[in-house]
Amino acid sequence: MFKELDPILHSQLRLAVMSLLISVKEAEFTFIKEKTNATAGNLSVQIQKLKEAGYVEVVKEFKDNYPNTTCKITEVGINAFEEYVKALQQYLNVNHK
Amino acid sequence: MAEDNLNPSESLQLIESMINRAKNRFSEDGHLYLFWGWMVLLCCIVQFVLIHFFQYRYFYIVWMLTWFAGFYSVFYARRQKKKRKVKNYADEIISYVWMVFLVMALLLSYVIGALSGPGPYYTYIHPIMLTLYGMPVFLSGVILRFNALKIGGIGCWVLAAISPLVAFEYQSLLAAAAMIIAWIRPGYLLREKYKLQESSQ
Repeated sequence: MFKELDPILHSQLRLAVMSLLISVKEAEFTFIKEKTNATAGNLSVQIQKLKEAGYVEVVKEFKDNYPNTTCKITEVGINAFEEYVKALQQYLNVNHK
Repeated sequence: MAEDNLNPSESLQLIESMINRAKNRFSEDGHLYLFWGWMVLLCCIVQFVLIHFFQYRYFYIVWMLTWFAGFYSVFYARRQKKKRKVKNYADEIISYVWMVFLVMALLLSYVIGALSGPGPYYTYIHPIMLTLYGMPVFLSGVILRFNALKIGGIGCWVLAAISPLVAFEYQSLLAAAAMIIAWIRPGYLLREKYKLQESSQ
């Protein structure tokens, strides 16, 4: 029986954001935008979806008088990411048999 | 990045490429290594000159410079923290390693002073510091996967083993040599690597 792929993570930009955040402690919005080559609008929407799912923590503050958004992956996000990778491996193993 | 349906192998490729983009970022530009390396090297040489050529009793006042260097380092680190767009686990671990080194260095200076009584306890300082220097330098090399720092750390330990065998005034020259192999050489190599990364982005 296949595990169902998490629909929150099974989207190109959201998966890219989660893959970036799993490798660092925390990252600013501008860093994620630069690495994913996404538009600010689209990225904001996708980060909001990840936040609503409890996968990322978003902190908005002021840095040198400018608004600054920082994102960090949560424990729930790490578990979901690991489950997603396990499910992917299951699909790939079956295809290789 | 388009919103589309991914197949499992595309998903894995995407995960791998994003992890590599985050992982390959090298945030150490070697500035503090070079600053401290040159600073302590200068202090060691001035100390040697003051003792060897002038027999000056208060040779240790040259080390007052390190207090100013300490303030500058705190100011510089805070400024860099503000500029940084991403926090890596490696950066955090390295800052804790150096914090542990600083606490141990201050604590050992005090403990050795208290245990050895009113004698010239400063004669123990260089061998102890050389032994301690090796730890943060070697560990930074392991965490950053940077061989020059690992070699620098081992070099400090070799010099630490030699230091009790030489007269106090020459121990400062051993400490100067340690600065070259543990901080100055890796500092320039780190700067080179950082510049290369910045220009390729």
